Amino acid sequence: MRWRSPLALLALLALIAAACDGGEAVDVDDPTGEDVTDETVDDDPDPDDDVEEDAATGGTLIAAIGGDPDQLDPHTTTSSFAFTVLENVYDTLVQPGDDLTPEPALAESWETSDDLLTWTFTLRDGVTFHDGSALTADDVVASFERIAEEGQNAFRLDAVDSFAAPDDTTVVMELNRPAPNLLDQVGAFKGMAIVSAAAIEDGTVGDEPNGTGPFSFVSFSPGDNVVLEANPDYWGEGPFLDGIEFQVIPDESVKVTNLETGEVDWIDSVPPQQIDQLEADPDIEMSQVAGNDYWYLSLNNAREPFDDVDVRRAIAFALNIDDITEAANFDAATPNETAIPETSFWFLDYAPYGHDPDQAQALLDDAGVSDLTIDLMVTNEFPETVTAAQVIASQLGEVGIEVDIRIEDFSTWLAEQGDGNFDAFALGWLGNIDPDDFYYAQHHSEGVNNFQGFADDEVDELLDAAREETDEDARKALYDQAATRIVDLASYIYFYNPDILEAWSPEVQGYETRPDVATRFATTSLG
Amino acid sequence: MSEHDDAEQLQAPDEPAEARWKETLSALFANRLAAAGVVVLALLILSALLADVVAPYAFTDDDLTRRLEPPSAAHWFGTDELGRDVFSRVLFGARVSLQVGAVAVGISLVLGTLIGLISGYRGGWTDIVLMRAMDVLFSFPVVLLAIAIVAVLSPSLTNTMIAIGVVFTPIFARVVRGSVLSVREEVFVRASRSLGASDWRIISRHVLPNVAAPVIVQTSLSLAFAILTEAALSYLGIGVQPPRPAWGLMLLDAQGFIATGEWWMSIFPGLAIFITVASLNLVGDGLRDALDPKQRSIIQSRGVT
Amino acid sequence: MGRYVLRRTAQAAVALLGVSIVVFALIHLVPGDPVRTALGTRFDQDLYDALIARSGLDQPLLVQYWNWLTGALTGDLGVSFRTGEPITAALLQRLPATALLAVASLLVGLLIALPAGIISAVRQGKPVDYAASGFSQIGVSVPDFWFGLLLILVFARTLGWLPPSGYTSPLEDPVEAIRRLILPAVTAGVVTGAILTRFVRSSVLEAMSAEHVRLARAKGMPDRYILRHHVLRNAWIPVVTVTGLQLATLLGGIVVVEVVFAWPGVGRYALDSVVRRDYPALQGAVLLIAAGFLLINLLVDLLYAKLDPRISVS
Repeated sequence: MRWRSPLALLALLALIAAACDGGEAVDVDDPTGEDVTDETVDDDPDPDDDVEEDAATGGTLIAAIGGDPDQLDPHTTTSSFAFTVLENVYDTLVQPGDDLTPEPALAESWETSDDLLTWTFTLRDGVTFHDGSALTADDVVASFERIAEEGQNAFRLDAVDSFAAPDDTTVVMELNRPAPNLLDQVGAFKGMAIVSAAAIEDGTVGDEPNGTGPFSFVSFSPGDNVVLEANPDYWGEGPFLDGIEFQVIPDESVKVTNLETGEVDWIDSVPPQQIDQLEADPDIEMSQVAGNDYWYLSLNNAREPFDDVDVRRAIAFALNIDDITEAANFDAATPNETAIPETSFWFLDYAPYGHDPDQAQALLDDAGVSDLTIDLMVTNEFPETVTAAQVIASQLGEVGIEVDIRIEDFSTWLAEQGDGNFDAFALGWLGNIDPDDFYYAQHHSEGVNNFQGFADDEVDELLDAAREETDEDARKALYDQAATRIVDLASYIYFYNPDILEAWSPEVQGYETRPDVATRFATTSLG
Repeated sequence: MSEHDDAEQLQAPDEPAEARWKETLSALFANRLAAAGVVVLALLILSALLADVVAPYAFTDDDLTRRLEPPSAAHWFGTDELGRDVFSRVLFGARVSLQVGAVAVGISLVLGTLIGLISGYRGGWTDIVLMRAMDVLFSFPVVLLAIAIVAVLSPSLTNTMIAIGVVFTPIFARVVRGSVLSVREEVFVRASRSLGASDWRIISRHVLPNVAAPVIVQTSLSLAFAILTEAALSYLGIGVQPPRPAWGLMLLDAQGFIATGEWWMSIFPGLAIFITVASLNLVGDGLRDALDPKQRSIIQSRGVT
Repeated sequence: MGRYVLRRTAQAAVALLGVSIVVFALIHLVPGDPVRTALGTRFDQDLYDALIARSGLDQPLLVQYWNWLTGALTGDLGVSFRTGEPITAALLQRLPATALLAVASLLVGLLIALPAGIISAVRQGKPVDYAASGFSQIGVSVPDFWFGLLLILVFARTLGWLPPSGYTSPLEDPVEAIRRLILPAVTAGVVTGAILTRFVRSSVLEAMSAEHVRLARAKGMPDRYILRHHVLRNAWIPVVTVTGLQLATLLGGIVVVEVVFAWPGVGRYALDSVVRRDYPALQGAVLLIAAGFLLINLLVDLLYAKLDPRISVS
């Protein structure tokens, strides 16, 4: 399971709340997961949809995903499996294009006022939800207000004071500060999906997904599958498929085997050690794309001796991130001493540490630190952190630092992280696009995800200024300075950017692996 | 414990203890399979104790330049995904397995013997309550109960030992209680009691020596099953945690490399478990034949029935 | 007989009650606070209080237990912390896969144990007897998950005869379902077969030493006839019993095999719940398996009593 960034586990809340709601009675006779096809017909909210088949040229794509979506409410889920599905059900106002810059989606165009504090979006004409109702500006406003309230992605709307719908096709946002990255934020991913105002009112967003995307929701059997069918009224190109069945297959090797034997057409990940094997297989298309995720180690600045920047730097010098990268990912990741990958416009070519145990030892001696034992917290939810921890332990062992590896399940891990009960932890942030995603919440002294307790006035000033800077080059310069300082002060010790690995059968046409892991099947067909 | 202590503790009026033990041992070694089991076990214990000296590499000694190498002169059992020497890790793994087995069975031995003694000796309500409690624990499938306990305590070496210890307690309690009941009414016990001997004295002088035989057999067989259970829990990822080299854990790692052909990662740790468990079973069977004429089978003593 | 049935059933019911107490207690004695853990980094006192109240965790333990127990008796095991889905439905959905594997494993076990046990008893002390006891010694010592990995290595990866793992419903595709069932069923079946072989052998041996068998022998009846009409007729009762008990054991112990073969059964559900700290789900799964275990044990005992009336008297 991947963790959508930069969010902590608010979804769990919603989950538990949902759990409490649904706890009244259980219908034992409910044939969950059986007879999906029968339900398809019965549950169809709009029988008219069944008649129009022109849009689709045929076939149901069987896509394997590594786990259950925890829920199907785009505003509250944090599960990447949910987003793999919802990517095809919902739309956002704008969306990341092929180069990840925002392009029109539900909004056809937009304007900003001279003071940069008022944004006016014009909606596309004739867009309808899957239930047949028309998309209006009210739906957009209601969606953003819900997002701002639900907490999960509220931070993306920090800069927005109010949303208004002066007419059916116009949405106006009033900002409290200039926000050059507003488009990246409102269209970052389907966590910012536009849902119908009626669904929000009825409280059915999670139970009956009703979007505007290329595919409409048919059924969800936890532990088994999620079924979607083509939306013939989709506003964009496609869909060409009749539908998609997402099969839940938790076991990596089973997933690969099922692709090899043709039982599934597409899989959402590949174990790095099997890349070569799959690349050599003529019956499989293996796709490897540099992603925007990054993995790192962080030290608890609130605890001695990690409050001493020299100790943090010593650890950075002692680590060999090339080895950590290779151990955890084989050849499917790129070591990087900063957060942003080299494929991005925002990449900063800066690698001051390398692998230098002597320097590390000298720094430790200067700081008067010896016999140091580090409590390093990792989680089996992300096995790469467990692998990395073992390599880290032996690397730090070379400079006399002992590492106690503590492996927690993820919810305990998050609780411990929140309570500051750790010397160090290793994890990754996934699905970032804008540099603000990479730095603000993690390294601003008031950032919501600054669990390591890093505080530096200069970094704060740089990050605050960069947020509001509208000139792209000037903005990049600010982020470069901030990133340099973050690396120098070792707020995070960065490891690598992993590649995104997907594979599919040669029959699948028109699908591309994207660096933001958006799994868009709108223009996919089976040949 | 020295030979002398043994003898004194095990003394029962109608049997010269020392002679009986010699007889048992010679019976055990006459059984060639059991003798082989004893030898293999001794080697295992030795390698576990001396792993630091014997193993060519430390169990955390990783080196990516030699990752996933097949068996060779330098690495007899090949290397794993971090370039660690599998042979060394298997040797250190013996330490983990034997430690878990010994401590876990030690827990159930002590707890079970106490409960069985009290239950059998006291009788009445104490007996009923204790035995019903044991029945309840017995109503769980073994691995499932261990999983539930570890889940509650959170996975670690210590908690694995505790969980397995608890799971095997009822078997010992039953075995001991059964023996106590049969001894309690023996003439020599009744005689001591009428002579005013204290409960403790009766238990230590007469009851314990007589339950020793079935308990020893049970211990050996439980050790085998405890090691098997530990391996299963570690394989499931909820037993011993990395970087500690437990055999089950090594197999969990190895599973990701079966598809790519690194067979040595899964063969050798599994063989180690198999050989250890098989030798404990052989010794257990041998001890049973030598000590326990009632021929309780390995299956019964595992609580399968 | 009727009395025995009543007594034995009452016993099982009491044990089940005990089991439910243990399951409930285990999970409510968790050190730490599951709700606090579930909230993770977004801890908020109001939210926390609300959650506690809504899930009934602020009530006295006894009340909580009573609610859970009465819920369980009416088929409501609550809802999962993680997915919010009803636990009963989730378990029922996974039960067929587990039951299929358990029954198939038992069949494999019997296919091995019946011939092996009978032949080794009849040829006691001959090479075939040693071979059979060697097999059963190996079978009880081999870790089932490792054996499964070896089978995958040989039959799926090297020879490519069978799929390495995964489950297909027999209702969807019977051929594929069987192909996928073979390796896991053999894995669990060999261990079961090893245990059963010993029982079959000793039951047959015991029956062969019975008075009327010796008499028949003395009369010069053909061995085959004696075996069929005198020995097996008596030996099958204990074998049936042990077979039933093995089914119960399989039901509980199959979790490991389910994990090796990515088999979407109840055991795997329980394990996933452990990993995700989904306590209500774990509670439900453990209770279900333990109840099945008790029920099969009860049925076997009753069956045994019916087959062999001496039992209910003693």
